[in-house]
Amino acid sequence: MAKNVSDKISELKTGVDWFYSDDFKLEEAGEKYKDLTKLAKEIEKDLEEMKNEINVIAEDFSK
Amino acid sequence: MEPTQVYSVSDFQAVCNQILDNAFTGVVIEGEVASFKINQGKFVFFDLKDDQSSIGCFMMKFALRFPLEDGMKVRVRATPKLTNWGKFSLTVQAIMPVGEGSLKKSFELLKKKLTDEGLFAPEKKRPLPENITKIGVISSTQAAGYADFCKILNERWGGLEVQAAHCQVQGMVAADQIIKALAYFNERSEVQVIAVIRGGGSADDLVVFNDEALVRAIAASKIPVITGIGHEIDESLCDLAADVVASTPSNAAQMLTRDRREIIDSIHGDIKRINNLFNTKVDDVIAANRDEMLRLGKDIVVRITTIDNEVKAQCKILEQLNPEKVLERGYALMKGEVGVGNVVEITTHKQDIKAKITEVKER
Repeated sequence: MAKNVSDKISELKTGVDWFYSDDFKLEEAGEKYKDLTKLAKEIEKDLEEMKNEINVIAEDFSK
Repeated sequence: MEPTQVYSVSDFQAVCNQILDNAFTGVVIEGEVASFKINQGKFVFFDLKDDQSSIGCFMMKFALRFPLEDGMKVRVRATPKLTNWGKFSLTVQAIMPVGEGSLKKSFELLKKKLTDEGLFAPEKKRPLPENITKIGVISSTQAAGYADFCKILNERWGGLEVQAAHCQVQGMVAADQIIKALAYFNERSEVQVIAVIRGGGSADDLVVFNDEALVRAIAASKIPVITGIGHEIDESLCDLAADVVASTPSNAAQMLTRDRREIIDSIHGDIKRINNLFNTKVDDVIAANRDEMLRLGKDIVVRITTIDNEVKAQCKILEQLNPEKVLERGYALMKGEVGVGNVVEITTHKQDIKAKITEVKER
């Protein structure tokens, strides 16, 4: 199932947190940075393209 | 002239009522309340008057949605009626206060009553759900407030499923329509939050949001309710009953959504920060290695100097032991067997000499 934008934002946050954590390893950081940059671009695209669906209910509340 | 039809009193009264019904279905009349009273806890009587006239009014207490007092200016929707006793009266279906003084008085009376009941208690308030994806909106879909709400919603976020219940948001029928819409969302929808919105207007326009039944319906909603009614300075009893209050419809849209622009900016900031952090860590490693190299270099220099000094000291010692040095100091080296008459070889700093021994004497 495709990840929604909220999942991607959470994933990005986890990735960013890794850089500040004790798990940080310089030898892995370059690759992770590239992945996060790619993910950030995806999120930006998703956010800009998201549209709302607004429907007026058919029910007549005047009756 | 001979009358064409003779009525009984009751028939004539019934015919009069039928004519009045046909002529004035749901007539709206404005006037001042006088002689207000409630009989047996359920029948409401008062006179509606102006400078010159007065009409008796009757209504059921359950239809009374605003507190009334003598002297209040009100608007009633009513059916005129000739009673069995021949008295002309109005049977009131709906009533609402009008004019600043009456609105304020009615607002304060109902506010006190509902506050005393605990309807506005802070502990009853629920926060807005997180990650909202389904929103119910109650508004007039032709109103500017609704357009503002949708505009801000669309600007800020996407992927939302919004169901709008079109209702009148002012006038005597508005409260009942909004109550029905609240019931619809609570019973037949999966929305996570209900937004009751209406743009700015006069106090008379907004009085519907002080309707007791509507205020109670908002307080009783199983789904959290956010109100965005009027302008920032307007406060209604619906606001007090709602879980969350926004100052305007636009503000309600802001409170229901995250701002995609802010998130994008925040992501850019995160990426920039981790880039800086990465570079700093790389610099730290380089700096740490450079320091280590410098330290090792210094150690090597010290060791070389030490060895050099040792070598120099040894050289000095060797130098001192060099026979040539001894000769330089004026000594001579003699080779050969010591004995009178023997020839020996003598080396000085500058000469090689052969000499014959003429005497040997013990020291």
